[in-house]
Amino acid sequence: MFDKLADIIVNYVEVDREDIKPESRFMEDLGFTSFDFMSMLGEIEDELDIEIVQEEAADIRTVQEAVDYLEKIS
Amino acid sequence: MNSVSSTIRELLVKSEAAHGSWDAFRYKVKQKDAEGKKSVSVASKTYTELKEDSERFSAALESLGESKSHIAILGTTSYEWIVAYMGVVNGGGVAVPLDAQLPAQELCELLNRAEVTTLIFDVSMVQTAEKARKLCPGLKHVIAMNDDSTPEGALSFRKLVGEQEPGFAYTPLPEELATIMFTSGTTGKSKGVMLSHRNLAENATCLDMKIQEGTVILSVLPIHHAYCLSMDILKALSLGSVICINDSLIRVAKNMKLFEPNMILMVPLMIETLARKLEEAAWMPAALVKAKVFGKQFHTICSGGAYLNPAYIQTFKKYGITILQGYGMTECSPVISTNLSWENKEGSVGKLMPNCEAKTVDEELWVRGSSVMQGYYHMPQETADTLEDGWLKTGDLGYVDEDGFVFLTGRKKNLIITPNGENISPEEIENKLGGNRLVQEVLVRDSDGVIEAEIFPDYEYAGKKKIKDMQGELQKIIDEYNKNAPLYKRIFKLKIREVEFEKNTTKKIKRF
Repeated sequence: MFDKLADIIVNYVEVDREDIKPESRFMEDLGFTSFDFMSMLGEIEDELDIEIVQEEAADIRTVQEAVDYLEKIS
Repeated sequence: MNSVSSTIRELLVKSEAAHGSWDAFRYKVKQKDAEGKKSVSVASKTYTELKEDSERFSAALESLGESKSHIAILGTTSYEWIVAYMGVVNGGGVAVPLDAQLPAQELCELLNRAEVTTLIFDVSMVQTAEKARKLCPGLKHVIAMNDDSTPEGALSFRKLVGEQEPGFAYTPLPEELATIMFTSGTTGKSKGVMLSHRNLAENATCLDMKIQEGTVILSVLPIHHAYCLSMDILKALSLGSVICINDSLIRVAKNMKLFEPNMILMVPLMIETLARKLEEAAWMPAALVKAKVFGKQFHTICSGGAYLNPAYIQTFKKYGITILQGYGMTECSPVISTNLSWENKEGSVGKLMPNCEAKTVDEELWVRGSSVMQGYYHMPQETADTLEDGWLKTGDLGYVDEDGFVFLTGRKKNLIITPNGENISPEEIENKLGGNRLVQEVLVRDSDGVIEAEIFPDYEYAGKKKIKDMQGELQKIIDEYNKNAPLYKRIFKLKIREVEFEKNTTKKIKRF
């Protein structure tokens, strides 16, 4: 899941693939805006054929938290 | 054809008479078949259905003895939300739209301050409604909308509407208070902006933007904001538009494909993200990129809520998309000026609305007209500080040129305006952080589009408590604050000071 997510992340922000770590924070470290993040979740919904609850996703701060959440609902 | 309405009732009645059987709303409906397979379809409601359902809801409120009361609506955009809003204001009541992202405690405080007696809530907010019933002594009824199951102790919106007949006869007067909208206050306490029928209806209808009837609009902004309520909903309804409801910010791209809109109202943050998508695909022919990202039928973005870099207007022009940049504030219902495709000036936030005049006093822009609020609810001092002889002090530095175009040059008030149009008072966050013993002084500001807190810690206290990792300890305080703050109020940068802040003569921290 981490690799899949990292592949999608590089399409949204200007960051090198190898700089994405589980502990990287989306906004502080990777430079996401809140709307970038929301848009990415929409793409992940389609890619993984899952349904994400926006309110639950609002608490995600790090890549690892996103991986955990996505694994939980997949 | 544009026609000015002076009440929200008049706006709805006129538009229903002209567009009765047309779709007013389209929205997604999720279904599950017998095998549990999910599918999505699009449902719609006509102008006549909207008018009649809202009249039924006015009648339902009257049967509860609540037609002249303050009624809060809590939830994201839905057909029921709009029916509730129209039912409240056109039946003689005052609607109080609330931000569903706020913590329950804060929402209860707003319910009490606005003297709300009925709360209409989206069932996803059931815990907040439960809390409100305990913490808000003035609350008599809670009504659950948009779900088949109604939580215990709550009334069912559908049942209430279903029990009534359409045709509720009440004619609100233009000066009647229609809505109280909360906006960030400089003292840290949010202010209830009082908007009358005339304020809102004339703001939505006084300018002919030459938008065709039947234009399909995708509504993506939060409905408790004046910009969304006035432009996405009231203006669109007055024009006979089809309003498509975006179910989540996560799904804007998907919903654009589903609803095929011609126009969207956005805040700069969204425009910036879309611009990056366009740039990524810049190697492809422009028409193809436009069709892929927006759909062939798409032509206009209205931008408001915050400052938009004019460079984006040019970027979108290449793809045949017009961005109309406007300017406003909740206190002015909210639009003060807007650029039009046939009437615009570079660097300007648009031409003054026809119902608005402006002047510059000590560099600050003041505006006057039929959209200027009645005042702040139960806040006479704040009202007196903001309104003078009918003039609204905008807090923005700027001027109007000889052709009526507004130019902004800076801000007078300490307000952070995020790229998604949320207004945040730095003092509100500073007060919360300052309550911690380790924080001696704190300043909160905007830093490259995110909120930054600069803290001068109490080093003496840290010494006594043998705190070694100052960064870590302060980050803990920030994390604790962030846990309960809505996303747009969270702090994403921390700066630690070695020396205390420079003060002015009244011992206040110098902000700039």
